[in-house]
Amino acid sequence: MKFITGSMMFVAGVLLTGNAAAQAQVKPEVLVKQRQSAMTLQAKYFGPLNGMAQGKVPYNASVVARNAGYLEVLTKMPWDGFDPRTKGEKTAALPAVFTDTAKFKEAQERLQGEAAKLVSASKGGDEDAVKAQIRAVGKTCGGCHEDFREKKK
Amino acid sequence: MLASPAAAGFSLMLRAEIVPTCIRSALQAGVLALLFGAAPGGAFGQGDAKRGEYLAKAGGCVGCHTEDKKEAVPYAGGRALKTPFGTFYGPNITPHPQAGIGDWTEADFIRAMRLGERPDGANYFPAFPYPSFTKISDGDLRDLWGYLRSLAPSGRANRAHDLRFPFGWRSLVTIWKWLFFTPGPFVSNPRRSQIVNRGAYLVQALGHCGECHTPRNFLGGPKRSRFLAGGKTPEGKAVSNLTPARLKKQSDAELKDFLVFGTTPDGDVPAEAMGEVIRNTTSQLTPEDLAAVIAYLRSLPPLPAEPR
Repeated sequence: MKFITGSMMFVAGVLLTGNAAAQAQVKPEVLVKQRQSAMTLQAKYFGPLNGMAQGKVPYNASVVARNAGYLEVLTKMPWDGFDPRTKGEKTAALPAVFTDTAKFKEAQERLQGEAAKLVSASKGGDEDAVKAQIRAVGKTCGGCHEDFREKKK
Repeated sequence: MLASPAAAGFSLMLRAEIVPTCIRSALQAGVLALLFGAAPGGAFGQGDAKRGEYLAKAGGCVGCHTEDKKEAVPYAGGRALKTPFGTFYGPNITPHPQAGIGDWTEADFIRAMRLGERPDGANYFPAFPYPSFTKISDGDLRDLWGYLRSLAPSGRANRAHDLRFPFGWRSLVTIWKWLFFTPGPFVSNPRRSQIVNRGAYLVQALGHCGECHTPRNFLGGPKRSRFLAGGKTPEGKAVSNLTPARLKKQSDAELKDFLVFGTTPDGDVPAEAMGEVIRNTTSQLTPEDLAAVIAYLRSLPPLPAEPR
């Protein structure tokens, strides 16, 4: 019995390790696709807010509240896609993503912080404060793109 | 927008790039004599400060001449500009007699903008974009000066540039200017429409767009064959290609939205360096001037991105 339990545990262990190994083997091009999807969705839900903050489209508090909630989650998603194994992929990521990892990490955390602040601002109902926070989020996006993303061709 | 006929004549001669440099220097000296000779005689009237304010926005002066912090005094200097040659700090250009440029004459200002020379005759480092500002017309320079004179003086002290050896030697700038600097105001191309000429003036002279959007060689000189074709700054920051090779993908309405609101159709945002230019400059332009800028960019020769 002990033997069986032992072998079961061994098998389970193999399965677990096997599973972890399978995780680690997500193809680099898939990681790129995933991180790009997360970025695309951030743009989709940030774009209208930016338009409101810049006075291009009318302010709509419920859209802001909904999109801010999406953004808080989305801004956590892309980063594990910047795996060093994706270095060779043809993307807009500048080499600094992989060489200046500390600064890149700091930029990610700054974005997540600003997105969280946008969620709380959107609950506060002060339109000017919300617009200012939308601009702060935009600056964070732009600040990171300047150092870590190549220009679109 | 146009200089007086006499000055325009000189400018034409100055601009002709076939004129050998030695002769050009002599002409520069001649223009200087003209400027200094004319100023006390009152040939330069008082510039229009209100127009000057608009021109200062079109020139984006506030960016480099204001500290990067909340409640910074506009035009009192302090912004750091990092380059491969070291860090430059934009100086105080308010009319404070010691801390700013309060003891300057209009001729000093015109000499600085047109020739890149300090009142004492030393060269400015081309971090001050006089290779672009030299193209600003005499009338606009006078209005800009009128505006700068109208600012409240600030006693904020300047910070010395922090440059890598040997780039701190201003005498080296003489060689740089000889290689890369063509003084003289913008001259309209009669074969192009008025709107394209206006756009060219805004982009090349006041807007100094090429200072970032034209790639530079290892001496920090602009690669003229790649005018406004973007690429990467020496620090590795990405800069957009403004020629039709890339801009053809965007409609006029999309470009206007970008330059006025900082929005793109896919929800993307500009990099922060451009975000600031949008806030300070492009969103402040009149609709006519903005349309002129776009018309001019559309008229550029398309230059594909350089291969990576």
